[in-house]
Amino acid sequence: MLIQLKKFGTTLSSRPAGKEAYLAFSPTLREIKEGEHVDIDFEGVIVLGPSWADEFLTPIVDQYKDKVSLLNADNPSVKATLELLGQIRK
Amino acid sequence: MDKKFLTIGETAKMLGVSVDTLRRWDKEGILNSVRSSKKGHRYYSEQDVYLFGKDLFDLAEEWALREVGIEPESSLYCSTNDVFQNRLVGMQNLLAGIPNLSTPFSLIVALVGEIGNNSFDHNLGNWRDIPGVFFGYNIEKKYIVLADRGQGLLRTLQRVKPNLKTHDEAMQVAFTDVISGRAPESRGNGLKFVKNIITTNPLNLLFESGDAKLVLQKGDLELRITEKIPPVHGCVAMLEF
Repeated sequence: MLIQLKKFGTTLSSRPAGKEAYLAFSPTLREIKEGEHVDIDFEGVIVLGPSWADEFLTPIVDQYKDKVSLLNADNPSVKATLELLGQIRK
Repeated sequence: MDKKFLTIGETAKMLGVSVDTLRRWDKEGILNSVRSSKKGHRYYSEQDVYLFGKDLFDLAEEWALREVGIEPESSLYCSTNDVFQNRLVGMQNLLAGIPNLSTPFSLIVALVGEIGNNSFDHNLGNWRDIPGVFFGYNIEKKYIVLADRGQGLLRTLQRVKPNLKTHDEAMQVAFTDVISGRAPESRGNGLKFVKNIITTNPLNLLFESGDAKLVLQKGDLELRITEKIPPVHGCVAMLEF
């Protein structure tokens, strides 16, 4: 499955917005088949912050673990956010 | 306050800048004028000019120091997270238009967003008196100010670390300890993110909570925390970029 984050907005900052995005997207996530890869695409995202990411990305990465790939994660705020989430998960 | 308007000449005199600078600021959205028509004369709200000329950090700190809270002037006040997110995007649009910013604007917005989000996430239902945040910025002078009249770092962190005793200790934990595990408090890592960005980019942060004051800048390996007298109610932050 390909998840394009820009479809949730281009400034992804707050915790309530991240939680709402996750809840709204949950029915779609349930369509992921066992063993299927989950590609999360950051293309088009202007700002990503750890509050939003912790509500949306953390549960997906927790559930699908090594099946998750991150694409186009070269925006500075995306990099900094993923780095922090990586530290928290250690 | 009654709405009074100043001419562009009067405004230039008050702020000590040229009329051309005011025209440019108007074009760039830094200080907006009011015009009767597209080609009409520019007028400026006296209140806007007063606030523009005043040091936003002083205003924010005065607000956080008040014994009894009052709502800040509406252009500097976000009563809910939705209002804050909306104004954050407004600031983002202005920053995106500045050529050669020494720090990528996405990092500045993510960092400021995180400080403001923290205020809402940790204080919802527990504000001291006035809900929401003070949020102001001066793009020309390159600084951004946030403040809240919430519980402050110490009381917030005592929920997960009951042994914390001082604002100084709470500041250390907030900016350095990664709180892992999701219960009972999944939040609480936003200020680590702030520290990671400040210490690796040409930025300065001043952060006050209770009677603790932190000054942080690029390359800092340790936190410089001093005593803040009188203590603030909640948190006050200023980012220089």
